[in-house]
Amino acid sequence: MAGIKGSSLSEEFLEHVHQLPQGKSIDKCIQCGTCSGSCPTSSAMEYSPREVIAALRAGMLDRVLRSNTIWFCTSCYYCTVRCPAKIPFTDVMYELKRLGIKHKIYPRKDTNAVMSKAFTDVVSKYGRNAETELVKKYYLRSNPFKVLGQLKLVMKMLSRHRVDFFPHRISGIENLRRMIAAAQENGER
Amino acid sequence: MIRENQEHRIGVYVCHCGTNISHTVDIEAVVEYARTLPDVVQVREYKYMCSEPGQDLIKQDVEEQKLTRVVVSSCSPLMHEETFRNACEDAGLNRFLFQMSNIREQCSWVHSDRQKATEKAKRLIAAAVRRVHHHKSMEQREAPVHPDALVVGAGIAGIEAALKIAEAGRKVYLVEKEPSIGGHMAKFDKTFPTLDCAACILTPRMVQVGQHPNIELMTYSEVEDLSGYVGNFKVKVRQHARYVTKDCTGCGECVSVCPCEHPSEFEMGMSTRKAIYRSFPQAVPNWFTIDKRGVPMCEDTCPIHTRTQGYVNLIAQERFEEALKVIRDVNPFPAILGRICHHPCESECQRGEHDEPIAICALKRFVADWEVEHNLHPEPVKAEANGKKVAIIGSGPAGLTAAYDLARKGYALTVFEKYAEPGGLIRWGIPYFRLPREVLDREIDWVLGHGIKLKCNSALGENGLTVDKLLNDGYDSIILALGTTKGLDLGIEGEKLPGVVNCLDYLAHANLQGSVETGKCVAVVGGGNAAVDSARTALRYGAKEVMILYRRTRTEMPAISAEIEAAISEGVQIHFLVNPVEMIADSSGRLTKVKCQKMQLGEPDKSGRRRPVPIEGQFVEFPVDQVILAISQLPDLDFLVKDEDFDLTKWSTLAADPDTCETGKKRVFACGDAVTGPSTVVEAMASGRQAATAVDMYLSGEDLETLRGKPHRPHALPLMDNVRRPELPQQKRVEIPLDPDAGITLKEVEKTLTAEEAIKEAGRCLVCGGCSDCRVCLDACEVGAIDHCMDDTVRELDVGAIIMATGFQLFDSTVVARYGYGKFDNVINSMEFERLSHASGPTGGKILTKDNKPPEAVAILHCVGSRDENYNEYCSRVCCMYSLKFAHLVKEKTNADVYNLYIDMRAFGKGYEEFYKRVLGEGVHFIRGKCAEVTKVAECQEEKDKLIVVVEDTLLGVTRRLPMDMVILSGGLTPGRDTEKLSRIFGLNCAQGGFFLEKHPKLAPVDAISDGIFLAGACQGPKDIPDSVAQGAAAAAGALSLIDKGKVIIEPITAEIDEEQCAGCQLCIANCPYAAIDYDEEKKISVVTEELCKGCGTCVAGCPSGAAGQKNFEDAQILSEIEGILAAN
Repeated sequence: MAGIKGSSLSEEFLEHVHQLPQGKSIDKCIQCGTCSGSCPTSSAMEYSPREVIAALRAGMLDRVLRSNTIWFCTSCYYCTVRCPAKIPFTDVMYELKRLGIKHKIYPRKDTNAVMSKAFTDVVSKYGRNAETELVKKYYLRSNPFKVLGQLKLVMKMLSRHRVDFFPHRISGIENLRRMIAAAQENGER
Repeated sequence: MIRENQEHRIGVYVCHCGTNISHTVDIEAVVEYARTLPDVVQVREYKYMCSEPGQDLIKQDVEEQKLTRVVVSSCSPLMHEETFRNACEDAGLNRFLFQMSNIREQCSWVHSDRQKATEKAKRLIAAAVRRVHHHKSMEQREAPVHPDALVVGAGIAGIEAALKIAEAGRKVYLVEKEPSIGGHMAKFDKTFPTLDCAACILTPRMVQVGQHPNIELMTYSEVEDLSGYVGNFKVKVRQHARYVTKDCTGCGECVSVCPCEHPSEFEMGMSTRKAIYRSFPQAVPNWFTIDKRGVPMCEDTCPIHTRTQGYVNLIAQERFEEALKVIRDVNPFPAILGRICHHPCESECQRGEHDEPIAICALKRFVADWEVEHNLHPEPVKAEANGKKVAIIGSGPAGLTAAYDLARKGYALTVFEKYAEPGGLIRWGIPYFRLPREVLDREIDWVLGHGIKLKCNSALGENGLTVDKLLNDGYDSIILALGTTKGLDLGIEGEKLPGVVNCLDYLAHANLQGSVETGKCVAVVGGGNAAVDSARTALRYGAKEVMILYRRTRTEMPAISAEIEAAISEGVQIHFLVNPVEMIADSSGRLTKVKCQKMQLGEPDKSGRRRPVPIEGQFVEFPVDQVILAISQLPDLDFLVKDEDFDLTKWSTLAADPDTCETGKKRVFACGDAVTGPSTVVEAMASGRQAATAVDMYLSGEDLETLRGKPHRPHALPLMDNVRRPELPQQKRVEIPLDPDAGITLKEVEKTLTAEEAIKEAGRCLVCGGCSDCRVCLDACEVGAIDHCMDDTVRELDVGAIIMATGFQLFDSTVVARYGYGKFDNVINSMEFERLSHASGPTGGKILTKDNKPPEAVAILHCVGSRDENYNEYCSRVCCMYSLKFAHLVKEKTNADVYNLYIDMRAFGKGYEEFYKRVLGEGVHFIRGKCAEVTKVAECQEEKDKLIVVVEDTLLGVTRRLPMDMVILSGGLTPGRDTEKLSRIFGLNCAQGGFFLEKHPKLAPVDAISDGIFLAGACQGPKDIPDSVAQGAAAAAGALSLIDKGKVIIEPITAEIDEEQCAGCQLCIANCPYAAIDYDEEKKISVVTEELCKGCGTCVAGCPSGAAGQKNFEDAQILSEIEGILAAN
């Protein structure tokens, strides 16, 4: 983490974004702020979507990665739909998440990245969400003590069959894995 | 290999084009290679061949080296072919013995590999060298230039261009689509940055245009077609009918009487105008225009073409007397038809597409009854006698209508009636409870009051009254309107039994004598109005049980639907899909039963109704003691047929010409049911009118053949507005009131509408015709300038030069749904704001919200639809500045807080930046950021009932929610609505955003791609007033320089047809887009008119015998060029 400079992050990042469909349009951002104005969570973000692009251009992506911004994106696609430069900004957010995970640059206090990782792990293992497993992985990797506060709710949900104690694997999980593997391979290419 | 025997001396010149070519192409290698090509005697390279020293090299070599062919390898021929051809010519070489090869655009600019680019350059030169071998000397010709010019579009750019040309002493045709010139600028309030009033600076120009002797103004006109070529264009212009002539003084009296209101296009739909209107008071020309949008369906469907919308709209305005006048203009029987018409108009009414059709028939009855109720007796207008006598036989609706029409034209009319009282079938066929006698008498008396003589008890063929006698008695013409008086039989067993009667006899008995023999259990056979009337009459004369037997189903039943409903509600039973096959009597010979075959529906017949077919072996019997046959009727013509001149048709009706109503006997015409077979009252009236028209024309010596072939008139469709209209609410039509006391008696069942009901119902009319055709304006106009029958005129103009100044249209903000335009009341576009702020606008210049309050906060959103790849990528140039102007005007006229939401402030023109500074100093808030959305979802108390503008203030990095009372969308400029059509007509190209493409963006900004056509103003791209005016003047200069040169050079590169090879198939004539090929009847071959040929080559490609060829693109030239490309290495 320490070894990577913001400017080289920008370069690496742009290379990936340019390969997205419509990805080249990121170069045409006119900083109009339609994305930030439309974003339902931008008020909680440390850097608004528009500022993410400004930071990218300034070679300061590391600051963005260390902020809460990307983990607050709810994938509502408002920014993408409205962007006058047709920048697929939601996809850009995902690309940023990948970049952050790859270089292990997360916000210090925020555990959204951990949650995100835990979630994808669970889904690739079972083919669907398994709440108890997800909770286990998330709290063990973030703050194991916090799970105690959730116990009461968990017990209540278990008793009403809102969640299952044992995870269920979907049938044909191998097919899903093949699809994910193919998608990943495609993405890396 | 194609070779000519003749040896040539070819010079090849390779240009570096600075470093444009030499950067990528190894010039030296190319030169070396060129030297090796056959017949090449001189090869030179130079940094700029197009420069004077470069051209001198060529000239020098042609003279000294005796070159016979020249090849220049440089840029695109579009740039410099002319330059080098001129150089050749100067040196004494024919200009067409030259070939250019493009090694810049097609080589150096598009390649990066130097070696390969050099290789390509070599091949291109080899191709040119081989080709030029086959070039032939050709001579250019000159053609004179027509001195007149055409300007299309009379906005500020077109006005400027037209004035400049006119001032230079040349004639200009100025064609404008709208009724007035002025374009968008006429709608503007103030103009940036100087804030002078648009009208103050524009109207003097407009007046100048209107008065200039050299300008022929053609407003409300559109160019339909263009042919010819530079200097000699032929332009076809359609002048739409204005329905108001040049005599109009602009006094506006017509406006005050016109009943039709429509949203005003000029006021952006924010206020209304009448159907006869003038866009704005300073309009040029100052004449009014009537907005006709085609024939309304109601009027067109009506057999007598009653101007329905005319009287309906007058009723809506409580102008009942005038409404009656409109009706009586074509229909002398409003009270009768208002009761019994089958009103096909209502089925076609366009309001019915939205909710329910207008109750047209009931409205007609209302005004007619209103007149009686108010004891008004309109005096029949008697025309001056013309001394001609016409006899009409039959006083039914056809005969009386014919009499009415002819009497109003001054003919002396005598109507002969067989029975004791006039009226024909309306009198004896229609029962009291549908049409009271006093209504009938009143209207017939009124018709007869037009000086018409009536002779009752005078049947043709009796007491010596014959056609010949009448003709001998001095009648100039006779109209036979005999009607149908014979009932048709079923032709089944038992039909002659007592108790079986025909409906005509039955109804006549009931209606004329007030009593009729009626059984207890009556069956009526048939499904038309006569059947339903008979059934309901039977109920009223003592029948306990009445049934209708009909062989098809309800859907096919021809009777008026409301009448069927009424019959059912009165207790009449209807048995469908039964066909009587036998009337059965008991031993005493009394009718007891009717036996019916059960039917089912089969394939549709000619009338489109499904044909009933019997179900084998299935019968049903109904016990009855009377059967009334109401199948169909025929005319009783036995006495006529004795006269050899009259014929019967195969349907036993009287033979008459369907268009001219002429019978076999001269001077005798026929109309009505006797000719057409049974029809409705209004159809019979239409037939009577047709005969009257024919007789009038015949007796006036006019050619009756002109009556054949009805001209097609386009229909009006609802809401053909160019402006936003508020959504039309769903509204049920008025219910026809019934008399609760009438019961099953002879008293009239249906009642008339109240005045309130009628006014409300009439108000539902959409006036889809634009003008309702009530023609009250005719009386209001003192100078007689109104002509409702005007037609479009098409003129063909000869002009030498054309200027396109067709302008723009404002971006349609509804497509940016998130800004709520069209959804929220106080979100308006910029043109709407212009009108709102304009002293003569809908609010008199006050800036008010829709609820007429001054706004406290106003947001102006820049770049709506501009700089946005979802809509228009380009910047519209003017919006920043007009948004600043809006901010200033709002500040000046209200106390509102003004917010300008911009992305980048573009204040590039003279005085613009200063204006920006000025507005900054006026306390306007500037927020850098594009508005994300406009919403009404309030998040706190102060946002309640406001328009909330959500935007990221990008300079702060904070998303802001601004509660506003008014939001102005500064939309961009987009190409005019007709740009695509115009580009096709004028052969123009469209570029960025769809605007017309100029020849060169910097050096030829007002020249179109096609020679002789120039561009001015916003049709070439978004621009402000100063730039538009400058372009207008520049385009005028371009046109004038062409006109004043007086001649154009015509390239000899045209098609030619080899007489020997042409087979005369004329395929080329059909293919030629410029109509440049004609057929020589004598030689049986096609011949090219060189003046018209543009050398496009279409005929060459299409010629099946290879006879068509094109100069300078001969087979030998092209094939050797290809060889050059392939062979070189």
